[in-house]
Amino acid sequence: MKVLILGGNGMLGPWAVTAMKDRHDILLTDINDPYPEYQGEFLKLSVDDIDGVVDAAQGMDVIVNLSVLRPDRRLAFDVNTMGNYAMMVAAREHRIKRVINTGPHFQLVGQQYEDWDFDLNPDMPPAPGTRLYAHTKALGSEICRVFSERHGIQVLTLMYYNMKHTWNLGGPEASPTYHEDMVPFSTAWPDCGTAVRAAVEVPDERLSSNFEAFFVFPDLPHRKFNNEKTRRVLGWVPRYHVEALWNKQFRLPPSGLHEAF
Amino acid sequence: MNLLLTSAASSVAQLLASALGDTHKLRLTDLRAKATGEIIANDLDHGGDIDDLLEGIDAIINIGYQGQVGSEKALIDYHTRAMYNLLWSASESGVKRVINVSTLRLFENYEENLAVTEKWRSTPSSQDIELLAAHLTECVCKEFARDRMIQAVNLRFGWPFDSSDKADTARISTDLAVGAVNAALESQELIHWQDIHVQSKVENQRYLTNTAARLLPTLAEKL
Ligand SMILES: NC(=O)c1ccc[n+]([C@@H]2O[C@H](COP(=O)([O-])OP(=O)(O)OC[C@H]3O[C@@H](n4cnc5c(N)ncnc54)[C@H](O)[C@@H]3O)[C@@H](O)[C@H]2O)c1
Repeated sequence: MKVLILGGNGMLGPWAVTAMKDRHDILLTDINDPYPEYQGEFLKLSVDDIDGVVDAAQGMDVIVNLSVLRPDRRLAFDVNTMGNYAMMVAAREHRIKRVINTGPHFQLVGQQYEDWDFDLNPDMPPAPGTRLYAHTKALGSEICRVFSERHGIQVLTLMYYNMKHTWNLGGPEASPTYHEDMVPFSTAWPDCGTAVRAAVEVPDERLSSNFEAFFVFPDLPHRKFNNEKTRRVLGWVPRYHVEALWNKQFRLPPSGLHEAF
Repeated sequence: MNLLLTSAASSVAQLLASALGDTHKLRLTDLRAKATGEIIANDLDHGGDIDDLLEGIDAIINIGYQGQVGSEKALIDYHTRAMYNLLWSASESGVKRVINVSTLRLFENYEENLAVTEKWRSTPSSQDIELLAAHLTECVCKEFARDRMIQAVNLRFGWPFDSSDKADTARISTDLAVGAVNAALESQELIHWQDIHVQSKVENQRYLTNTAARLLPTLAEKL
């Protein structure tokens, strides 16, 4: 398939490219230059440039949106909200059947849900609240929903919470903390990338509607969030279970026995 | 009450302003490109002078539909980012209530025989940018209400204003619209987020207005 990636030069982009490059033709785009190691086709493009995104989407089968801008108020709206509008106009103009959108958990599960509830699942009505990142991404997602409903475009939204390196389970934050109560969910970078591939490739008949959302994380024992749908519908199987983030230090059982009996 | 009226150069705002001016102290504002005369120019940018605009204001009447004209980009930007900036400053300035003037056209896809109320999901268009933008402003307002930062009343008015054409089964009189805004400003019955549908009582009335009659009692006899 021909896949247009928007905002592909960030942290997730390379993992999504790696997961897909041998199976699909990728046109990578971003407002910034690509990593020097990137070998494929690249176009410099701002995601809020409606005409530019429409042009780039010509001949594509799928659009994947990995762009995000978190702190600045104007840019957050330009990228997270207007960017989705541009993407959906492009999908409509070229009759592109599938769009993969990405974002943080709290574009759906805002503080109100997270503080109170368990088994939080991606089919709940969004309640993002007013936090800039969550709010702007949620508005972008709402634009996707409207277009999806009107034009029959499949929109699969992948939501992440924290992304971690496989070698030390660290992330962009200062230093990783092990064996503590982890933030509700974390996912290893390679698995974040294969989830994008799974969404690109999932057969139509596995989708029960044109607008489907997924929380992307491995099985976790605390059941704060629910990943069942991601595994069932996308057939996504994570390789890493980030266990050192949610179990205690390894120690001998009190009996000293290592066997089940 | 001290009221701020946004998109004040628009025709809807002008209709409301001339009637509300008798009973309230109005401050009018619009984007720089449109503001003339007594209308205070403000682009509702973050870090701009929104706080000055809101000083001493008790409530905002926000024109959430057809208050602005412009490109698709300009309209979406105004109805999302500018609204966010306005409401953020409003909550910090202690403004208690925002009346968002929206439209029942968000439900025009439902057939006329259906008993559409506030409990029905709206069906915004993706191609009519004014409608998509109105829907997005509703979303912004709702999240500020959800976070208890402001009390929001979402008044969805019928259309068109002051028509005498019987085919306009969702029409609304200016009189009723002004009455609804006044009642929404004063009502003690409201929770943090409240949709209210308002249209004139006409033959083959398209939308039900029972919620308005219940929550805005001063309006009840007109509905
Ligand atoms: N990294 C995480 O831990 C995490 C957690 C939850 C959700 N996510 C989501 O995953 C997706 C990818 O995030 P990431 O971690 O790669 O973010 P990132 O900040 O590393 O990358 C974002 C990319 O978007 C690009 N971008 C910014 N403005 C743009 C514009 N105007 N036009 C085009 N591109 C623009 C940036 O140049 C960058 O390459 C996002 O949707 C994000 O919300 C990430």
